[in-house]
Amino acid sequence: MSNDPMAEIRSSFFVECEELLESLQDALNIMDEGAHDCETINVAFRAVHSIKGGAGAFGFDNLVAFSHRFETMMEEIRAGRLALIPDTIKLLFITADLLQDVIRATRDGAAEPAGTQEVLIALEALLGENGPPAEEEVDFTPMGLSFDFGDTTEDTTYLTDGATGWSIAFTPESGLYTSGNEALLILRSLSQLGATKVTCVVPTDLPAPTEENAETPFLSWLVHLRGDVIEDDIRQVFDFVADVCQLEIEQIQGGIDLGTDPPSTAVEEEKPRPAPVTDTVAASRPEPAVTCAEVSVPEQADPPPPANASLTPTRPLNPSTAPSEPLATVRVDLEKIDQLVNLVGELVINQAMLTQSVEKAGVGHQPDVMSGLESFMTLTRDIQESVMMIRAQPVKPLFQRMARIVRETSASVGKEVRLRTEGDNTEVDKTVIERLADPLTHMIRNAVDHGLELPDKRREEGKPAEGVILLSASHRAGRVLIEIEDDGAGINRPKVRETAIRKGLIAPDAQLTENEIDNLLFVPGFSTASKISALSGRGVGMDVVKAAITGLGGRITLTSAPGVGTKLSISLPLTLAVLDGMVVQAAGQTLVVPLSAIIETAKLEADKIHHLAPSAEMMQIRSEFVPLFDLGQQLGFRDARIESASGIVLLISQEDGRRAALIVDAIMEQRQVVIKGLGQSYGNIPGVAAATILGDGQIALILDPADLVRDGNLSSPRDLKAAV
Amino acid sequence: MAAQLTLPARLDLTAAKPLAREISALVGDVELDASGVTHLGGLCLQVLLAAAQSFQISGRSFAISSASEEFQAALSMFGVDPAQLPRKATA
Repeated sequence: MSNDPMAEIRSSFFVECEELLESLQDALNIMDEGAHDCETINVAFRAVHSIKGGAGAFGFDNLVAFSHRFETMMEEIRAGRLALIPDTIKLLFITADLLQDVIRATRDGAAEPAGTQEVLIALEALLGENGPPAEEEVDFTPMGLSFDFGDTTEDTTYLTDGATGWSIAFTPESGLYTSGNEALLILRSLSQLGATKVTCVVPTDLPAPTEENAETPFLSWLVHLRGDVIEDDIRQVFDFVADVCQLEIEQIQGGIDLGTDPPSTAVEEEKPRPAPVTDTVAASRPEPAVTCAEVSVPEQADPPPPANASLTPTRPLNPSTAPSEPLATVRVDLEKIDQLVNLVGELVINQAMLTQSVEKAGVGHQPDVMSGLESFMTLTRDIQESVMMIRAQPVKPLFQRMARIVRETSASVGKEVRLRTEGDNTEVDKTVIERLADPLTHMIRNAVDHGLELPDKRREEGKPAEGVILLSASHRAGRVLIEIEDDGAGINRPKVRETAIRKGLIAPDAQLTENEIDNLLFVPGFSTASKISALSGRGVGMDVVKAAITGLGGRITLTSAPGVGTKLSISLPLTLAVLDGMVVQAAGQTLVVPLSAIIETAKLEADKIHHLAPSAEMMQIRSEFVPLFDLGQQLGFRDARIESASGIVLLISQEDGRRAALIVDAIMEQRQVVIKGLGQSYGNIPGVAAATILGDGQIALILDPADLVRDGNLSSPRDLKAAV
Repeated sequence: MAAQLTLPARLDLTAAKPLAREISALVGDVELDASGVTHLGGLCLQVLLAAAQSFQISGRSFAISSASEEFQAALSMFGVDPAQLPRKATA
């Protein structure tokens, strides 16, 4: 990690930019859906404005210039001078995408991204000649307070005795304004900390205005800030101007007279304000609300209490200041979190070992030892869950990236496509999200390029010209299910079959089910596009996608109906570190079955078993028949189960809701196990997800029961002896 | 009859020099129309205050007319004493 404080602040600015871009995208999506309310427009405006503000503070001229044009456009929309017609929204999306590129180019020190000039020209054309010039300063539109200038009514407000306040003397020096900062923003940020009384100190010998002295600051301000504010919060407001201003901050005990403020202003200042998007760049990002924002509810006005509230006892409880810090966050290196995850994993193993040692020592039944172990176990679990929560992130940013892919892909192939997303807030392990980006991109491109038909074709078939791709995420059976569904033509099975035969992937006379034909798409070297387009046909097939998903411990399935569409379902593990498992014995082996996959357990009773074929058995569970498998046989640990042998049946569920029953010899216990990868050398073993270390130091395989029984009774015993 | 000057919408950093130039070029009394101002920054505020002071010293009248809400709000945020920047009563 770099020790350069500027570099750290800069990198945190870019992280914030990503968050702002996310809220910008959200707002644009809402607008795209037809909602043109003030708040939505303001959210978008604020995002762009904050990016510009931060960029100005760091002197990123290109970014300031670009975001300024964007902001101007947003301002025209906000003022109602520019109608939100579909073309305008389209341009907003394109501009937002480019803004992202410009931000990344700025971050990486790269050249201006392609297309910037075109977009700027398009913006200019839309705004007409009256658009303000692209000056490069941080500007600001103040809130439309109903302050009657000249009204000298006095309303004297005193602090209760003993309360504290601050006296802040702030004198801008040359360089403050020219570096893109603005005294007004700083004063406003201060007013967000608590009630303020501002006095502008005008020197009596102020020189007459000339062009030469116009940019030399002469004014200074004296601010009395009331409330239980800590000095750091005040200093933070001046973070970006510390070297271009004189600043004196003094604490005042006792009452401060905030007197001469006209009543209307005083009331405004007591009103909760939305927080600056983050506190680090607070000085350059106030809430730029206009008349339209006065009636709106700020999006973070009523936040849940921050989780770490107890850690900040010095924070003001004053209602006028409390809302300004609703989302206290800390940025932590992922490496540190991973280290913590590993340590927690070790802790879980250690706890299992300790439990066994205690049992061995024969003191496990003593009440105090028992309760001690139990609370140790609860604590371990709580710690583990908390650590996992740190790593989990909503899939939303990933989905937003996909929205852009859809826009770009559809534009280049001349199709009209709308991406709908569901379950944006589903949380998935960060690593999973990161590694999902490439396969998902590819699948989305495929859906646009191959899945959906051209607008004319769609009209012919009585479908709306605009195709829809639904991208959804949800939690299902302890896993994450991500689905990509299009309403296109479906898979052209005769063509797929033909291609597969031509490429020698299947025999010309092979009899394949529809499902098997669909799955040919995942066979390496298969590509259905008759023309290699710039988008999909870059040598990466669905086999690569499948390999990537499998590498994440996931599965991908494809369903398609001609004329209706295609659906790709990806099922992924929630976390890659720890799981709740049932430790079972089968054919003398100790194995772990993820608890999330087990619906119930039952005793194996001979009269409930029905033979369909010599190798196919069904078991009756209440009124339902489910296929029955012997785990030991399925894994190749034994040839055939002794019919009369007693056993226990685990009823397991698969992602698609189908059920199956697995015979095990005994259930040992139920416990948390730490997932340890099997390593590359074993490759992908069907039915086996990973391995773990049990309390006695023994290694056990963690099964993926759905995979084990997925092929129904087609599966043949697998030789796993070598792996154990 | 005072000279009329309409203030631009954005009185920010880039507006400070042109504003100072225009004001210093005026002769006689002046009345500034602030009805279209959407943003008033610190530098332009300073130009206006300096102009008000120097006009007063030279015995000329200087007044802001029909100030927009944004303009007024900025003045209140800046903590400017109304007496420092005389306003012409709206007709």
